[in-house]
Amino acid sequence: MVTSKTTRRFDQISTHFVLGLFALLALFPIAYTLMTSFKSQDEVLTRPPTFFPPTWRFDGYETVFNSDMTRYYLWNSLFNSTTASLVVVTLASLASYTFSRYRFRGSRTLELAILALMMIPGLTNLVPLYRIASDLGVLRPQGINAHLFISAVYTAGGLPFAIWIIKSFFDNIPIELEEAALIDGCTPIQALIRVVMPLAAPGLMAAFLLMFVDTWNEFLAALVLLNGTARTVTVGLYDFQSSFEIAYHVWTAACIVIMLPVLLLFALLRKRFFEAMLQGALKG
Amino acid sequence: MTNLSWRAKADALPHTFSSGRNYRWLPLWFLLPSIVVLLALQVYPTLYSVYLSTTRVRRGEFLHVGLANFERLLQTPSFWESLRVSLTYSLAYITLTVSIGLMLALLLNRRFKFTGVYLVIIFIPWVISEVVAGTMWRWLFQPTYGLAQAWINTYLPFLGEQLYTTSSGALAIVIAAAVWRGLAFTTLLSLGALQTVPQEIIESASLDGANRFQRFFGVILPQIRSTVLVMVLLTSIQSINSVGLIFSITRGGPGGATRTAAYYLLQIGWEQGDFGTGAAVSVILFLINMSLTILYLSIIGRRRD
Repeated sequence: MVTSKTTRRFDQISTHFVLGLFALLALFPIAYTLMTSFKSQDEVLTRPPTFFPPTWRFDGYETVFNSDMTRYYLWNSLFNSTTASLVVVTLASLASYTFSRYRFRGSRTLELAILALMMIPGLTNLVPLYRIASDLGVLRPQGINAHLFISAVYTAGGLPFAIWIIKSFFDNIPIELEEAALIDGCTPIQALIRVVMPLAAPGLMAAFLLMFVDTWNEFLAALVLLNGTARTVTVGLYDFQSSFEIAYHVWTAACIVIMLPVLLLFALLRKRFFEAMLQGALKG
Repeated sequence: MTNLSWRAKADALPHTFSSGRNYRWLPLWFLLPSIVVLLALQVYPTLYSVYLSTTRVRRGEFLHVGLANFERLLQTPSFWESLRVSLTYSLAYITLTVSIGLMLALLLNRRFKFTGVYLVIIFIPWVISEVVAGTMWRWLFQPTYGLAQAWINTYLPFLGEQLYTTSSGALAIVIAAAVWRGLAFTTLLSLGALQTVPQEIIESASLDGANRFQRFFGVILPQIRSTVLVMVLLTSIQSINSVGLIFSITRGGPGGATRTAAYYLLQIGWEQGDFGTGAAVSVILFLINMSLTILYLSIIGRRRD
């Protein structure tokens, strides 16, 4: 391109300036939350407010770590997210394999119908799901039923997207590899498990990750379907509102504890994240 | 189902194998678990909510009331008010996330140093739960002790004191928080689209003397038109159904200023336990979503050809 050296220099500086500004805006609320979480109650209620804590304290974390958040909610979220993500990836792999490798009357329509389900927001199903849960008697927090029910709801919510993503990964695997395996005497199931799935591992991983983060962060279904000790982190966060109205050092400490696991996952596997999201929204 | 004729792609996968077992129905068995789950927990609840929208609970009994719920709903001013809030919220969210996202993607696509780092940082808010993000923003704008509010009082006093307690201020805070989270999504999608635009077209346009704006609107935008459309549709679906941020920042307040139709549904159907009316709102929201989805699918379907 014909651009002079000075124009290019200016471009470089202005680009970094704007991108840097937005990066700062993205990080600022998180940084302030982190700083607040190390303040004491008095320091939270200081006017004018300061960004850094005057003294570094762990009162907020102490409260969070002695609450139901660490006794129940974190474990519930971990259980629900892991269960739902594993089941989704398993079921979606099987379904995507069929969509990727077989054609039958109506297969295209079925595929699009499933994709359309992806767009049904969890929101509009809440009232009926609440009715179903109360009919099944799984609204009580005791036992494992509440967890299994919401994991099933998450599974249904995540399946369409996972099928969509995993199928696009399967489509990129040459069919000749399976033919060879079949000729060597593999059954189709063995071919899927031993040949196709390992090659699509990045895709399965990506689907698992997106699903895990989504269910970890999910709020509405958890709010409506879970009670008492069966609640998850996002709903349990509100425990700190009722008991400490203005104790933002406790709130923010809880926020940090809740977001830390998914932020770590994202930091470790961000490339997979980007791939899967692009694949999911734009390709087909 | 006996009439299903399976045909393996390119006749590649045979149905009978050396083991002698017949795998003719295998693809069906592979699909079955997913279909059962989707029917039970996606399709059935949707139909159930259509049924519930025509009922009313009286002393524990379900009474059929026809379309009375819809009639009453359409005569309720607060429902229309919530649709209006939804429209404002969605328009602001869509315009801001799509335009700023495109701009950031254009800058990232210049591929100067640290582009990857910027993208990762801009993406972080998307990974944070809506309610956690909402709590952070609520704290920033807490009327007495919030840091952002204190800065506004000092440096930008014309924006107003105690934004959180005013109608337009609260709506602005909720929109800002939503855009903060949503930018990640539109930036990534735009960047993905921009990277498919061949560099040569842009170069030849600039050789022809097109300036930056002409290049963007004349060359780049037409190339990524379908992605922009997809972004507009997906962001409208996101904003119409978003509840978590509003719940965690304002709970619909002050005085219904941030009560979108989605939040209205949560209040009526769940907090007040009025299943019939709640289901009626669900059905209306569902129809809005469905029309947007059909548009989205037709765009995605066209790209494929």
